[in-house]
Amino acid sequence: MKPILEVENLKMYYSTKLGYVKAVDGISFVLNEGESLGLVGESGCGKTTTSMAIMRLLAENAEILSGHIYFKGKDLLKLNNEEMNKVRWAGISMIFQAAMNSLNPVYKVGDQIIEAIITHEPNVTFEEARERVVNLYKLVGLDPKRIDNYPHEYSGGMKQRAIIAMSLSCNPDMIIADEPTTALDVIVQDMILKEMSRIQKKLNMSMIYISHDIAVIAEVAEKIGIMYAGKLVELSDSVTIFKRPAHPYTIGLMSSFPSVKGEKKELVTIPGEPPNLLNAPDSCRFAPRCPFATKECLEKEPPYEEIEPNHFIACFHPQNLRKQVNEYAKG
Amino acid sequence: MPKVEMANATDVVLKVENLKKFFPVRKGVFSRAKSFLHAVDDISFEIKRGEVLALVGESGCGKTTTGKTLVKLYEPTGGKIKFLDRDVTDLRSDVDKKWFHSKSQMIFQDPFESLNPRKTIFDIVSEPMNIQNKGNLKYREEKTMEILKRVGISPPNAFLWRYPHELSGGQRQRVAIARALVMNPEFVVADEPTSMLDVSIRTQVMKLMMDLISDMNMSFLYITHDFAVARYMSDYISVMYLGKMVEYGKTEEIIQNPLHPYTKALISSVPVPDPEFKRKSIQIKGGIGKAIDPLPRCRFYDRCLLAMDICAKKEPPLLDVGSGHKVACFLYDKKEK
Ligand SMILES: Nc1ncnc2c1ncn2[C@@H]1O[C@H](COP(=O)(O)OP(=O)(O)OP(=O)(O)O)[C@@H](O)[C@H]1O
Ligand SMILES: Nc1ncnc2c1ncn2[C@@H]1O[C@H](COP(=O)(O)OP(=O)(O)O)[C@@H](O)[C@H]1O
Ligand code: SF4
Ligand SMILES: [Mg+2]
Ligand SMILES: [Mg+2]
Repeated sequence: MKPILEVENLKMYYSTKLGYVKAVDGISFVLNEGESLGLVGESGCGKTTTSMAIMRLLAENAEILSGHIYFKGKDLLKLNNEEMNKVRWAGISMIFQAAMNSLNPVYKVGDQIIEAIITHEPNVTFEEARERVVNLYKLVGLDPKRIDNYPHEYSGGMKQRAIIAMSLSCNPDMIIADEPTTALDVIVQDMILKEMSRIQKKLNMSMIYISHDIAVIAEVAEKIGIMYAGKLVELSDSVTIFKRPAHPYTIGLMSSFPSVKGEKKELVTIPGEPPNLLNAPDSCRFAPRCPFATKECLEKEPPYEEIEPNHFIACFHPQNLRKQVNEYAKG
Repeated sequence: MPKVEMANATDVVLKVENLKKFFPVRKGVFSRAKSFLHAVDDISFEIKRGEVLALVGESGCGKTTTGKTLVKLYEPTGGKIKFLDRDVTDLRSDVDKKWFHSKSQMIFQDPFESLNPRKTIFDIVSEPMNIQNKGNLKYREEKTMEILKRVGISPPNAFLWRYPHELSGGQRQRVAIARALVMNPEFVVADEPTSMLDVSIRTQVMKLMMDLISDMNMSFLYITHDFAVARYMSDYISVMYLGKMVEYGKTEEIIQNPLHPYTKALISSVPVPDPEFKRKSIQIKGGIGKAIDPLPRCRFYDRCLLAMDICAKKEPPLLDVGSGHKVACFLYDKKEK
């Protein structure tokens, strides 16, 4: 397997009047060609910030403090703007959080995709671009007759399909999809996720799915990274993450999620709330909520280590599942 | 109405008969003809003391409208609402209104919108007691502290004089719950109370509500679009589709053995948090529309892959197919099939 994206010790902070918001604080992972990675975590844990750093779309007050982002071997953080512009769309394209609400209401949907193509590939003629949009519509399951409709004539699901078509329009090697189905009803969500998985496999694309919903991620991602308060706390293949999680936060998350399948298990609660990332301390950020925390956890930052092949975790006390659930249940 | 309450006279706290709520809509810019959107269209059910009924369905199917009509934030277009054996469909006198609002409450979806940003937590939580003229200031303060503590806001005195924007989403939803419960209501509508909360906070709030419901022996209408949440929160599930109740039954029975083609499609589309589970979803056609001047036929007809001739000719009634499991679909109607 060949890596397509290697993120190494990436730190991206937001500077504010009160200090640094440590939104992404030293995360590392590798995505291989044709692979799908899911990034899961609660609101504010740094999922969107991570993807913005990869795309180098920085907010005004954002700063990349350290790290490397190798895309096909080249460090994106060393590229000039012009070179980076070539990577966006054609190399890595992104489906932004709530993108379907950002379609311009006064332009036809097809024209918005044509414009995106021509902006990024100036040599393409209007006719060629339109032809490409017809094919993209077929690929994502939209009727090409709808190309000349306006956004308000599309349902939520159709808009999201159009957004996916747009993200594919310059033949990217990799797509980052930030909460691609969060606003959709479950039947439509199911269709969109199936469509995305199918296209990903068909085109052998690499994908990063971002979601707060572990059930969605379980269905589309081969590899899963669990984020907590600006850190990647655990990373492995999806079966390991679900069947043998080792980080106390992952275990809590897995056992607090209700499901319609299987026996109705007692839900476990993680006490407390995620910390404020403003001037976050250099200790384990989960320590105040963790049933296994020791003095060490409150004083030092746990290193991010490979505890078995392809299973990474940042915790002083890696756990074994059954034991931990009991601990949580005891409270 | 009698002044003395007969609260324990019956087990049924809320009984809804043929409830309807229509909204007028204009057909076109120039059209004078009036059309009606049938947001809630002839639904009947009851909730017993201590029982939780989950109302489940996709967005726009009429869940919120049902909830708001039941707590009288909307006037029903038709039908009857009986609460503690009294007909409360039309509440005329102030005394009756006050009585009703002291016993029924609603918790809203968005904890960022539902609390007045200019009021302190004390003002927000004690407001129902003010409106009802209940007790003096000292009593209200004690009661407020007590309920805040009960919903997990602690220490309560550290929060009394804060404003909603100084609280996290989870804390705000706890405050909204405290406000709804401070008068010991008999009946509460909770409209997607955890859908805006993060996973770890959501489970905390779900557990809190389960505890409160059983401690206070309340009757609950729990609105959600998430079957997995409904499975944990409710005793019964009722599935809505475009203003109609299409299925009703015991929670585990609906989850394990859904009958209506729509319920089957919905439940089979819910993603499962297990990467080894190979889920197979049951397909349906098209997308959800709006019930504007609907034809007298099964409202699911256009999307149903099993539709028969009769389905286009009349509306399927909600019929009991055994041990209280009800479904509105001609596939299960022995007379018609
Ligand atoms: N421009 C900014 N200035 C200051 N802080 C910011 C800025 N943008 C984001 N943050 C903070 O950075 C942290 C990470 O935010 P981010 O948007 O990456 O989270 P997320 O995981 O995508 O959350 P969600 O699930 O809500 O989309 C949060 O604490 C957020 O408040
Ligand atoms: N105040 C209103 N005026 C007109 N139409 C409304 C109003 N409130 C809701 N509706 C419509 O009624 C239907 C049901 O809405 P709602 O009860 O909010 O559904 P849900 O809560 O299930 O998403 C929708 O088609 C909605 O657009
Ligand atoms: S009544 Fe007919 S159209 Fe309606 S759900 Fe049943 S089979 Fe389908
Ligand atoms: Mg985000
Ligand atoms: Mg609603």
